Amino acid sequence: MDFLNKMKGTTKSPPAVGLIEILWSWVGAFLGIAAVAIINDPVLKGTDLIMIIGSFGASAVLIYGAIRSPLAQPRNLVGGHVLSAIIGVSCFKIFGDQLWLAAAVAVATAIALMHATKTLHPPGGATALIAVIGGDQIHDLGYLYVLVPAGAGAIIMLIIALIINNISKNRRYPEFWI
Amino acid sequence: MGDGDPMNKDTCAFGPMDISDDDVIDAMRQMKAYLDITPGDFKEIYRYAYGHALRRITKAVKAGDVMTRDVVAVTEDTPLKDVARTMAAHSISGVPVVDERNHVLGIISERDFLAGLSAKETPSFMALLADCLESAGCVAITMRKQKAGDIMTTPAVTVETTTPVSQIARIFTEKKINRVPVVDGNGKLVGMVSRGDIVHHSFPGVD
Repeated sequence: MDFLNKMKGTTKSPPAVGLIEILWSWVGAFLGIAAVAIINDPVLKGTDLIMIIGSFGASAVLIYGAIRSPLAQPRNLVGGHVLSAIIGVSCFKIFGDQLWLAAAVAVATAIALMHATKTLHPPGGATALIAVIGGDQIHDLGYLYVLVPAGAGAIIMLIIALIINNISKNRRYPEFWI
Repeated sequence: MGDGDPMNKDTCAFGPMDISDDDVIDAMRQMKAYLDITPGDFKEIYRYAYGHALRRITKAVKAGDVMTRDVVAVTEDTPLKDVARTMAAHSISGVPVVDERNHVLGIISERDFLAGLSAKETPSFMALLADCLESAGCVAITMRKQKAGDIMTTPAVTVETTTPVSQIARIFTEKKINRVPVVDGNGKLVGMVSRGDIVHHSFPGVD
């Protein structure tokens, strides 16, 4: 019964943010995703490279919408995507004929590695998963996936975040680099 | 003027400013789970929350919780020599003046006696003594004939049993007084709060 009791919850949801915060989150996310999307197409169109993956939408929530969270800091953003991409590509190469296994090992191991390196970044789990289930174009990149789009896309979004998040006098970013 | 800024270190022995980043990090380690907050942000929230709690708690303690109940009082017609003797007998430095229905009419403190003895605006005991030592005599002839009603401060500042102690402390500071009579809903005297009562309540065990 104690096991079920724990599911009742212990506290309240934190308060909602104000309108200014909502507006700046929107502006930052718009510009950040626009940047990687434009580079993806038309800049890289026709090449084998891509600059946008689904996990960047999740990163945008953090680095533009929750900028004081430890999960949103530059170390977590870049470290999380790069390490998770390495794990994802590796798991596909090792377990690729059992896709469900590759996917499960990739995400679980990415989380463990991010925890151990203090780079926990929720979109990293997505980056690892996409390396496995993202289809042929992703698989054909091999470890290049780690640099482009994972690392490069993260850095492009980071630059936008550093600029946009510090314009309002009540916002600041980052909280820490190391 | 507010209750006094709880962020001001002078108002408490140790306060929110003393929490360090390392205190927070050690506490986070004790939690075991991942906590989605930076130590700096936690420290900031802690300081604000501490202030809120302090304001809430100090408002909760009211006059009725700290006041002395068996209050010595005098009437308007009480001769001053009896007023002085009563204050000396009970070792008190102030006494309320009440009517026959126990309503507070005024208050007499040592300062009112000093004012009666000296021509100066706000005499101190030492100033009075100095005058005495310098001149030939200093006997309060007029005061011997006076009654409580003649020298009392009126109207007296009073509070109710529901008045928060934090507000009483502010009254003491603003009006430069050391005690205040507590009245009930009908204006009848029910107790007295002195600076000592507040100190005694805030720091039990210290006498």
